Amino acid sequence: MNTLNRRDALRLLGLSTLGVTALAACAPDASGGAPQGDTAAKSFGFTSWSLNEEAQKAAVQAIVDGYAGSNGVKITTASFPYNEYLNQVTLKLRGGQLTGAIQLDVAWLGALAAMGRLRDLATPAAKGGYTDVALSSGQTGGKQLGLPWTTGSIGLIANTGLLEKAGVDGMPATVAEFEAALRKVAALDGVIPYAAATKAAQLKDILPWMRTFGSPLLAEDQITVGDDPSVAAVEWYKKLYDAKLIAPDVDRFDARALFAQGKAAFYDDAIIARGVVESQAPDKSLTAKMAPLSRPVLKAGDSPQALLWGHVIAVVEGEGADAAAAFAAHATSDTATVATFFEKVKLPPTTAAGLADPKVSGDAFTTEWTEKITKTATANPFWRYAGYAQIETAIAEQVQAVLVGDSSAKEALAKATETAKGLQK
Amino acid sequence: MRKLTNGQFAWLLMAPGVALFLAIIAYPLVAALVTGFFEQSLVRPGRTFVGLANFADLLGGDFWPVLRNTLVFTLGATVIPFLLGYVLALALNSGLPGFLRGLFLFPWVIPGVVVSFLWLWIFNANYGVLNGLLGTEISWLGQPGTAMAAVIVTKTWASFPWMMVMLLAGLQTMPRELHEAAAVDGAGAIRRFRSVTVPHMKGIAGIVFLLEFIWNFQHFDTIYVLTGGGPAGATKTFAVAVYDTAFKGFDLGHATALGGLWMVLLLMLMVLYLRKEAS
Repeated sequence: MNTLNRRDALRLLGLSTLGVTALAACAPDASGGAPQGDTAAKSFGFTSWSLNEEAQKAAVQAIVDGYAGSNGVKITTASFPYNEYLNQVTLKLRGGQLTGAIQLDVAWLGALAAMGRLRDLATPAAKGGYTDVALSSGQTGGKQLGLPWTTGSIGLIANTGLLEKAGVDGMPATVAEFEAALRKVAALDGVIPYAAATKAAQLKDILPWMRTFGSPLLAEDQITVGDDPSVAAVEWYKKLYDAKLIAPDVDRFDARALFAQGKAAFYDDAIIARGVVESQAPDKSLTAKMAPLSRPVLKAGDSPQALLWGHVIAVVEGEGADAAAAFAAHATSDTATVATFFEKVKLPPTTAAGLADPKVSGDAFTTEWTEKITKTATANPFWRYAGYAQIETAIAEQVQAVLVGDSSAKEALAKATETAKGLQK
Repeated sequence: MRKLTNGQFAWLLMAPGVALFLAIIAYPLVAALVTGFFEQSLVRPGRTFVGLANFADLLGGDFWPVLRNTLVFTLGATVIPFLLGYVLALALNSGLPGFLRGLFLFPWVIPGVVVSFLWLWIFNANYGVLNGLLGTEISWLGQPGTAMAAVIVTKTWASFPWMMVMLLAGLQTMPRELHEAAAVDGAGAIRRFRSVTVPHMKGIAGIVFLLEFIWNFQHFDTIYVLTGGGPAGATKTFAVAVYDTAFKGFDLGHATALGGLWMVLLLMLMVLYLRKEAS
């Protein structure tokens, strides 16, 4: 019988409504509201891109396991690839799905700070014994939003074995010498002279070259990309591309792989490069041939350009924040922990005590890197804007258009600047 | 006691489903379309009403190259696997060994992202298999002309088996007597294909083609993994452009406006499909 009395119908409707209401209650908060208050939780999350990278995964997991074991807490880890990390963290923060500690690139702090979800870590920062430079890398808008985990720079690395084989004497100091060295290396069979970034995801690496050619990138809040020096830098890059001195289809991960296989003479990376190459290179003697070099300058007397780089651990305000902050302080400032971490992945610590540890201070590569690259490194001026990543993307996409012959450097950079201006918020 | 009519009872049964539809499809869809009229960022609170400004920005700039790329990809990734699938279906229907059917299905059962990574390795300019085999140094994914072709080849490899199976099913419903009668009347193989097979297959072939066209119009993973929409936007289709604008540019206003325009085009295709199915 397909009949139903009114009471039964109402009962059914009530149950349905209850079901839908329950489902709606389970749905994530559309406003993105974060849970408030720390309930002295014994468990929290730790989100890190390093847990997704083979060379660092074990070392980071060891810190997590060690802290969890000795403090009786449960740490739930999550990871995303570096190139997708900012998107994922942004979406999860907005959706209120991200709590606990998060590893961040210093470049991302400005963008994430705009969301207002990160805890001010001024108190643990004051007790951590961090160096002033390191502390400043975790500050934005007058707040200490991240505890510095490592502070360094992104610069050029050379394979001295290949340079010797190609007959390059000494490290090139000027752009002209660098180009000449690349041409000599090009004569070697199967070797890419300079595994520079040519994929859009990493083409922001051209910014230090623009500075090398004399563009400030940003002057008094006016984007100067598109000025004569930046155009000259892109034209030079295109010349290298056309002459096959740099290769298509290369991002940081490709460059590392090519360098580790002894198929690239130069590439750009952070100091982490040595650990990565060590773990990937079939030829274990390659790390001994790795040498950091100051980025060649346009003319003698110019200051070599390098990008200040580092990562911090930030804490999302809300449940588990106190426990996560304690973990962040331990991971970044406990001397034994940071010295062991350095030993495993070669990332310099950020505390005075950590830097003074013999494991760190006795490392010649790190000393050389600091002297040749970090010493003159400067922050990317676009980091101050929440839309910095989009500004870099706008520039990268246009530089790629130049490389593939779709546009002239002048037109492309003018277009990039037009887009970037709308993102200066 | 008042009894419900059949119509009232049907509505009552549908109520939970309708409520869910409104909550998880209609509301987000309307909310997304409305966002297209605002300047709204993913990383900043609040939003500002800007009327049609987002649509005007798009129609004055990115929309047309993205539409062109989407159409090139959709046509290429539909026509080529369709023809390939048709030929293989005919061959299998004409007595090609049965185990080949399973073999041809292999690419279809591999997840799309895995297929894309496989071809990413094949097409890599510096250590890719294709350059190794050909002895060339072509940047397949790094040049606008070859990048779109590479994406279409990858999608073809992944989707021809489905089309082949559907078309084979259609061929197997064709009465053998029709072919035999045509042969008795003196029709050769080509004439029988044109006058017997094609008319019989018209319906199913049309549906298969249209469905694949609609799916390709929305396709994301192959393009995103292989080229990310590059180089220099040469493979940026609607799906990639909306993703990039929303989740890399954090610009929800422009992303949802572009999504709205994309949806209008998709609705036109849906109408075509529904008409086709009805006929």
